[in-house]
Amino acid sequence: MALFGRRNVLVAMLLFAAVAPTFLNAYYLFVANTILIYVLLAIGLNILVGYAGQLAFANAAMFGIGAYGTGLLQVHFGWPFWLAFPLGALIATMVGLAISLPALRLSGLYLALSTLAFAQFTQWVFLNWEPVTFGAGGFKTPPISFAPLPISKTLGLYYLSLILVMVLFALAQNLVRSRIGRAFVAVRDGEIAAESLGVDLLRYKALAFGISGFYAGIAGGLYSAMLNFVSPEGFDLFQMVIHKAMIIVGGLGSIVGSVLGAGTLVFVLEALRKVKGVQEIAFGAILVGFILFMPGGIIGYLKEKVRGWEEPLHRARASRRPPVAATSESSEVRP
Amino acid sequence: MTLKRCVKAGLSGLFLAVAALQPGQAQVPGVTADTIKIGSFGALTGPGYLYGKLPMNGIEVVFDQVNAAGGINGRKLELVREDDRCDPAAAIGAVKKLIHEDKVFAIIGGGCSNATVAARETLAEARIPVIIMASVHDGITTPVAPTIFSTALTSSLESAAMLQFALDQGAKRIAVISMRDAWGRSRYTPLIEAFQKKGIKPVLDEEMAPDANDATAQVLRLKGANADAVLVVLYPKPAAIFMRDAQKLGFKPLAVGQSGIADPAAFEDQVGSPGATASFRTISMVRYTPEDPAVDKWRKAIEAKFPGDRLSVFNLFGIGSAQVMVEGLKRAGPDLTREKLVAALNGLKDFETDVYPGGITCVETDHRCNKNPAWIAKEPGKPVRVLGVTKVE
Amino acid sequence: MELLVYLLLSGLTTGSLYALIALGIVVVNKATAVINFAHGELFMFSGFVAWMLHVQMGVPYLPSLLAAVAFGFLLGAATDLIAFRPLKNANIISLVLATIGIAFMLRGTARVIWGGKGDYLPFPPITSPEPIMIGGIMVIPQQLAVLAGSIVIMVAFAAFFRLTRAGKMMQATADNAKAATLAGIRIDRIYMLSFGTGAAIAGAAAALMAPLTLLYPDMGFSFFIKGFAAAVLGGLTSLPGAVLGGISIGIIESLAGGYLHSSFIEVSAFIVIMFVLVVRPTGLLGSTRFRRV
Repeated sequence: MALFGRRNVLVAMLLFAAVAPTFLNAYYLFVANTILIYVLLAIGLNILVGYAGQLAFANAAMFGIGAYGTGLLQVHFGWPFWLAFPLGALIATMVGLAISLPALRLSGLYLALSTLAFAQFTQWVFLNWEPVTFGAGGFKTPPISFAPLPISKTLGLYYLSLILVMVLFALAQNLVRSRIGRAFVAVRDGEIAAESLGVDLLRYKALAFGISGFYAGIAGGLYSAMLNFVSPEGFDLFQMVIHKAMIIVGGLGSIVGSVLGAGTLVFVLEALRKVKGVQEIAFGAILVGFILFMPGGIIGYLKEKVRGWEEPLHRARASRRPPVAATSESSEVRP
Repeated sequence: MTLKRCVKAGLSGLFLAVAALQPGQAQVPGVTADTIKIGSFGALTGPGYLYGKLPMNGIEVVFDQVNAAGGINGRKLELVREDDRCDPAAAIGAVKKLIHEDKVFAIIGGGCSNATVAARETLAEARIPVIIMASVHDGITTPVAPTIFSTALTSSLESAAMLQFALDQGAKRIAVISMRDAWGRSRYTPLIEAFQKKGIKPVLDEEMAPDANDATAQVLRLKGANADAVLVVLYPKPAAIFMRDAQKLGFKPLAVGQSGIADPAAFEDQVGSPGATASFRTISMVRYTPEDPAVDKWRKAIEAKFPGDRLSVFNLFGIGSAQVMVEGLKRAGPDLTREKLVAALNGLKDFETDVYPGGITCVETDHRCNKNPAWIAKEPGKPVRVLGVTKVE
Repeated sequence: MELLVYLLLSGLTTGSLYALIALGIVVVNKATAVINFAHGELFMFSGFVAWMLHVQMGVPYLPSLLAAVAFGFLLGAATDLIAFRPLKNANIISLVLATIGIAFMLRGTARVIWGGKGDYLPFPPITSPEPIMIGGIMVIPQQLAVLAGSIVIMVAFAAFFRLTRAGKMMQATADNAKAATLAGIRIDRIYMLSFGTGAAIAGAAAALMAPLTLLYPDMGFSFFIKGFAAAVLGGLTSLPGAVLGGISIGIIESLAGGYLHSSFIEVSAFIVIMFVLVVRPTGLLGSTRFRRV
């Protein structure tokens, strides 16, 4: 096996993540925890967009619902984090399932706008449902406690995030290689063809939306615990752009790519602190540059250039194309 | 398996290297024999840049002048800016970077209220001296965090002043029009509380979006409710649209603005409808508008340092807070520590700056150091006029 | 009754702002089947260019407007060169994200150049700033100018697509890019022309609307999202649809504000759109294209 093959690099990354808190200062630990949370978001979104091919813009909203759900259940009902957190994720999953309903009839840009409209609606609810969401000013969440474990809040949350990333990463890897994953790809590559192969569109679209909602919800719960503060502006369209950028930069249709994309994006955003005043310009340029010069994302680049990066699902294809490349046939599907 | 061992060995090596690089326990972070590092956080990008980037430009020109005059006790001031994009998570990241990575001595910052509220805990835990330059949310200064001071006019003080002003002018039917974002709500909520304290209710409570381009519906509803005064909790853009449509529809109440619209001359141009601002009065946390000859010195400094820029009230926010910081640093003496700076700030009494309407007074139990809003107005065709300075308690 | 008339009229005038944005979006989408997410920023940037010429340098209004149109065209063509032509075979998400990247660059640049000149830059109106009375209703003349502008642009483009060679080629490319290539149309040029034209419309829109909306670096997005919504409501490929969509959204917002409460203004249009799309997935005037299996 190649020294810099996929498995070795992933193991090295994991080991690094496991020991990182021993030598990182508070700032870098915060950045590292942010990366872990974004990894979850990117994996969920990649399943929906990269595998199932649904051009949805509601991920930031579901991230917000997870964060609000987790935070509000603690604040209003005095529930412990450990109960509120899974419930928050569950609520986000439900919302994900609900938005899959219009997705059945819509595709491409129409789906994009209807999910964008949903995201705007969610923002509006956060802002206006004041008795519940505390409106525009946001609210503080109670600090999470790891008692009886002898571990500080920051470290505990970091390792909780790391464990969840490991579990959900493995889950996603298995999912996309299963029957379900192949059904998603079939839906992406041609809905009518998929249906004729016996793929139940309703079921699989709903499943894809539900899964991405679940991942976003988990990420949201962790995010609220990390910040101890939840407010609407954390879940706006800039957040959406970051999510989309992560999966494009990492590589569509790849779980490992999502991990790399999330890490890269958070790193870029923090590194851009150096170029004060022109961050927006630099961010835009980097985004365009990645899309132009690494059309398959980081993962596409690695698959091509580095031995040991081929993913089992794609090994046979060895294509240079990005996974969802719109061929001339499928361009007609765009409305 | 050898690989794993390699990785582990490499990592522990890295760990040692990083540990070796950590500077030996410096006495005071951010202070050397000839420099003091001051951090700032706020939005450098996104719509909130008005409350982040522009005040920081103001801080920078003050620091330049102090440095040109030899610095403070022989130490030059150095400003480190960090972007928070108006986002709570980015604000926490920015503040952690300033404290742990840039290792600044103290901070002047805080633009968007929610971002600053989110960062407050990190700031308070680190016990780093902070002067808030522009965020107005009450939650930043109340309850008092021992090291966090504010020279911005906090929203409850300002909102109470707005209502009092309308009542003093004899208004009987007072209505509110506000923006439902973090900025708007941090003012609206205390405003409604001020109403309750007076035992009255707004006759109508309307909203406008920050990007709205039409206010016909709102104006017609307010007109229908016979409001004789409207408290305008809006940014200049929606406020300008509102005043324009109010004039169009023949609705001429007393309009009371707040420190977000602190430049009535610019506002008159933004409304662009002759005479529409005749009954517009606004509050300001600074004494002068940018056109005032009294701030000539700062206008020149800003325009020289940032070519193409015009002096704005947002620059003035930064100038005022930087002057307070400079005074605190001077008083803290040559053996600078964070504790001494905090003590020096706590001792400020009626300290006069070039920009704030009244003296700056901080006491240990109240870190809302600026309590003197100025009332300003501009009648069509006449220069801006300061109606008076109120002292609120 | 007076209330209703006023609300409808203000809906019409705000709606015409959205319609002007939507027209540009539709012109691009018609030929290329993508949405230029930088459209709002192209609009903003051209507006600042017009401001710089007209207000700062004292160039008369009409040349400033033409310069904004020309500048918009160039920016649009540049967007095509950078973020569309090299990516034609990429998936639509990459395309969308590339235009978002362009949007960030334009917004950042505008903030560097004009961000320190004031919070919201005023632009003197071309018409008299005094409201005038038409049939017992007060209107601001500039609003009528915008309404007229969007109708003129709509009619001009309808004629352009039907009558001119370039227009017919754009139409042919939109209908079937492969067949158009076979017929000898250089579709790369057509794409560039479409991007440029869409942005030129944004430039004209900016110069017309600036006196009403004021100029600020972050104005683009809120207009874009309303314009996008209007374009989708109208069916994405239909010019009359864009105008109808824009005006519908303006009127929905205005009525929601007048009869419900002003807090419903911002969200009303999005709620209506979610429902319309569920019932008619291709918008009001959109044509259903056949899907090939």
